[in-house]
Amino acid sequence: MFSKILIANRGEIACRVIKTARRMGVKTVVVYSDADAGSMAVDMADEAIHIGGSPAAQSYLVQDKIVAAVRQSGAEAVHPGFGFLSENAGFAKRLQDEKIVFIGPNPHAIEAMGDKITSKKFAAAAGVNTVPGHMGLIADAKEAVKIADSIGYPVMIKASAGGGGKGLRIAWNSPEAKEGFEGARAEAISSFGDDRIFIEKFVDQPRHIEIQVLGDKHGNIIYLNERECSIQRRNQKVFEEAPSPFLTPETRKAMGEQAVALSKAVQYDSAGTVEFIVDGNRNFYFLEMNTRLQVEHPVTELITGYDLVEQMLRVAAGEKLAIKQKDVGIKGWALESRIYAEDPYRGFLPSIGRLKRMKFPAEGKLDEGTVRIDTGVREGDEISMFYDPMIAKLITHGKDRAAAIATHTKALERLEIRGIQDNSPFLAAVLEQKRFQSGDITTGYIKEEFPNGFSGAEASPEVEKVIVAAATYANVLMRTRMAGISGRIEPARPQRKDWVALIARKQIPVNIKYQQGEAEIEFVGGKMHAISTNWLPGMGMMELVFDNQTYALSIATAEEGFVIRRLGVEAHVKVCTPFQADLHSRLPEKQKPDTSKLIMSPMPGLVVSVAVKVGQEVKSGEAVCVVEAMKMQNIIRAEADGVVKTVSANAGASVAADEILVELV
Amino acid sequence: MMKDIVAALEKKRESARLGGGQKRIDSQHAKGKLTARERIALLLDEGSFEEWDMFVEHRSHDFGMQENRIPGDGVVTGWGTINGRVVYVFSKDFTVFGGSLSRAHAEKIVKVQQAAVRNGAPVIGLFDAGGARIQEGVEALGGYADIFLENVLSSGVIPQISVIMGPCAGGDVYSPAMTDFIFMVKDTSYMYVTGPDVVKTVTNEIVSHEDLGGARVHAAKSGVADGAFENDIEALAQMRRLVGFLPLSNREKPPSVPTFDDPERAEPSLDTLVPANPNTPYDMKELIQKVADEGDFFEIGKDFGKNILTGFGRMEGTTVGFVANQPMSLAGVLDIDSSRKAARFVRFCDCFNIPIVTFVDVPGFMPGTKQEYGGLIKHGAKLLFAYAEATVPKVTVITRKAYGGAYDVMSSKHLRGDVNFAWPTAEIAVMGAKGAVEIIFRADIGDSEKIAARTKEYQDAFANPYVAASRGFIDDVIMPHNTRKRIVRALRTLKTKKLENPAKKHDNIPL
Repeated sequence: MFSKILIANRGEIACRVIKTARRMGVKTVVVYSDADAGSMAVDMADEAIHIGGSPAAQSYLVQDKIVAAVRQSGAEAVHPGFGFLSENAGFAKRLQDEKIVFIGPNPHAIEAMGDKITSKKFAAAAGVNTVPGHMGLIADAKEAVKIADSIGYPVMIKASAGGGGKGLRIAWNSPEAKEGFEGARAEAISSFGDDRIFIEKFVDQPRHIEIQVLGDKHGNIIYLNERECSIQRRNQKVFEEAPSPFLTPETRKAMGEQAVALSKAVQYDSAGTVEFIVDGNRNFYFLEMNTRLQVEHPVTELITGYDLVEQMLRVAAGEKLAIKQKDVGIKGWALESRIYAEDPYRGFLPSIGRLKRMKFPAEGKLDEGTVRIDTGVREGDEISMFYDPMIAKLITHGKDRAAAIATHTKALERLEIRGIQDNSPFLAAVLEQKRFQSGDITTGYIKEEFPNGFSGAEASPEVEKVIVAAATYANVLMRTRMAGISGRIEPARPQRKDWVALIARKQIPVNIKYQQGEAEIEFVGGKMHAISTNWLPGMGMMELVFDNQTYALSIATAEEGFVIRRLGVEAHVKVCTPFQADLHSRLPEKQKPDTSKLIMSPMPGLVVSVAVKVGQEVKSGEAVCVVEAMKMQNIIRAEADGVVKTVSANAGASVAADEILVELV
Repeated sequence: MMKDIVAALEKKRESARLGGGQKRIDSQHAKGKLTARERIALLLDEGSFEEWDMFVEHRSHDFGMQENRIPGDGVVTGWGTINGRVVYVFSKDFTVFGGSLSRAHAEKIVKVQQAAVRNGAPVIGLFDAGGARIQEGVEALGGYADIFLENVLSSGVIPQISVIMGPCAGGDVYSPAMTDFIFMVKDTSYMYVTGPDVVKTVTNEIVSHEDLGGARVHAAKSGVADGAFENDIEALAQMRRLVGFLPLSNREKPPSVPTFDDPERAEPSLDTLVPANPNTPYDMKELIQKVADEGDFFEIGKDFGKNILTGFGRMEGTTVGFVANQPMSLAGVLDIDSSRKAARFVRFCDCFNIPIVTFVDVPGFMPGTKQEYGGLIKHGAKLLFAYAEATVPKVTVITRKAYGGAYDVMSSKHLRGDVNFAWPTAEIAVMGAKGAVEIIFRADIGDSEKIAARTKEYQDAFANPYVAASRGFIDDVIMPHNTRKRIVRALRTLKTKKLENPAKKHDNIPL
């Protein structure tokens, strides 16, 4: 085994690799950019070497700097993590030439699988099912239409070098094929500098199911079952689980064997993933092979009991695979979600910045399952604009799918992130859906279930009661405490028992029998409920036992009352005396101010350019300025016709979310 | 017999309580406003209000006013408690003569003002009125002046709080103007010396009530208001919260409340609050919220002079005033607005024995003609003056920049700061390295290599807390995560601080 390895990566995966290496007694070196100088990975590693500026092109992607760091540290091997140089055959080759071990497959395998067209040829030759389609180069739109017609619609038009949904179009007829080809090619050129396009059959009711393979340098290859990653938003995975709720043992075996056959064809000698698309009739077709560790590898680890990073290190060091195919089983069910710094309420725009508060549930047992958190940030760290805005991966394991989901929900409930917005309300809303729970999922799930985006979940009557109970309890506790202030002229009277909780204009009268730590709350006209909690003012989370059921709620004080959130539900609850509630009902509801004339930045970012001047006439939908966030240029458009009254945005200035850029009259 | 007497009293009370009658009450509600009595009931502990002068009526005999008398005469006055502590209140009743001020009305207010200052309890005034009662002429003007005088005499003796909950114009604005805090209600209140009609006549300028003197204008632009709230109910709930931070008079120590927060609570995330790049902003409010008990911070002047934060919090249950440069806004620079805002806050704390905790990250004073023409010299001097004269406990933590004269201003050791800490990231210097090098090594300006080397040299020598610490200007360099604990312990030692300024009639702060 190696005595020291270098991790050519950052964040969560760097920390993940360090954990295993440390357990195996292998010393670790991480490289870091300016932005990562104080990162968790740097703190965890035995050594850390600075390799350049924050943009990956100045640091994590610069092979010379990585190699120099290897030399400087005396590491024997390099783990590339995922992303960055992990699937760069040139890098693997370079390390080979420099006699540094690459903890990944051989360069030939990376190269063979790195190109979508070449990899399909390999797959076809190895007897792997592939989607009907055209593998060759396509000269122009006319030819593209001809090919599409012959495959039969719908077809998918895709950039060969593409990924992450860029350069991808679906066409349902000839005109769409023409348009799609042109669009995909333009994007392919601008994004990847590579105009090669291919066309293939578009699979109906598609599921994304992938097989984890593991090979050594002695020709042994096994498969570690599948992961289902069908829940995707714009082709980015959101939930991943293992096993798939859809596969039969026969399909699993067939897919596993084809994956192994393909791996053998390229002498695959590390951990890798063969991605398949599976249709409603369990026909499966090869998509591509990822020649690296996958983001979602933990779900495989939890159901098989094998540490994939450890296996990668062992085979890279030349050890023979100790696992035999027949040893590989499926123990329980594992579910992973990716907690991202993005705002689900605003079309999932990035919400980067400082993690003012970040608390996760403890790893280990929770409810009937277990929790694992893979993260590379701590409270007070920054989610930077330079890299993928993932905060953490939450992985739960249970005896079956329902248990994994239940524990996952409990874990999300106990997640506290402040300072930036995260996608956990959305994740929770998916978990609560009957359709998700039934396992009836496809890659179109999110589009179908959330056609108009995400705007929060409705509270069930039970959850609304819990929220009201929490607010009432907090209200009485805080009032009781303030009654203990010095300088009173008369002793405090006992707090009243009857309160009215207001959610928007809805009045919910309750009676509470309070003492610190526990109370009984009666909904007028309803039942009495016993509650208990150890919440105290200043705590952001309240664990509340309500009729023997435990709930975790995020709670914050508002100018009047409390803002309480749980999973996808958010409620502003004002706890009023009956008199106060009556006055509330007498005051007319305030009209929301018309903000259509205010053009505001939807997210924090940098103003790239401003297209309008004071006095200029602007039509609804017209672009007024460009704000860059997360390296994405966002065109900000007018929502109403008008004349520009003020321009507050200046090119080059940074803006906060909701900051007014341009005002119209 | 007695029964009839009681019934008569009850009937009189009933009619007084109705103020201008049900129709006017309904109209008040329709406008999104509560009545004078409803407001008092929300502000005070339930059932604690004792009304005074319910039966006072005006004494005017002109213009038919003798036919039109309503008990209470447009203002409800008295006292009650907030969390068991005494406060005096007056609440203008818009339903009675539009809340306009008569001689009798003024006398009612003066009565509570005098009682408050005698007994050492705050006065809270709720404003919703149409100015002087014109029918009374100079009598009303005299009444205003009587109130103003009491405002001035009470200033610094008891906290005075004004909440503008409807119109407040002309003579009515000057009483709030002389109180410690003014709060407004968005959309339903406005405040100005002359209204839109007069403005139009005199200057031809056409402007709405809201744009001339609405809550947003005064809370963000003029700085006249210290905060703005969504509606009456929210505003009054927040006034209860504010009073919980304030001593009832200058004869008292600040109040204390039972706290659930650990005085030694460490906050590891503060170690990464200051970004590596000295020009990157960060949110200073996070520091206040992580240091204060339970993260509870009552901000004063949130939308005005945003480059400085001021407000109340508690440490170990006892009130402190926080003042902090805010790098998120204009890099935390001191300018006219922020200096005025903070100076007033510091002086309030000093009046009422509230210790001041100052967090410093200040690159200096704002340059430019706009600032100089606006009198930055004198406005900046207000903050300097306020800190220097303050004798209350002063604990200072420099988190990053403390440059130039602004270093001196921000509760430095030299201005009798009691305990002055710095984080290891502090840079206490005359100016930033770049500017300093360009002056000291002017000759080398063309040579970028030399300048870079000199800049680094200056950076290494001066951009740290140790030069100041070696002179004793900083008492200790502390780890950010221990900030709460260190401030708590410093404040414990200062509980019995005794410091007096030379006897004088009063000082002459550069107004």
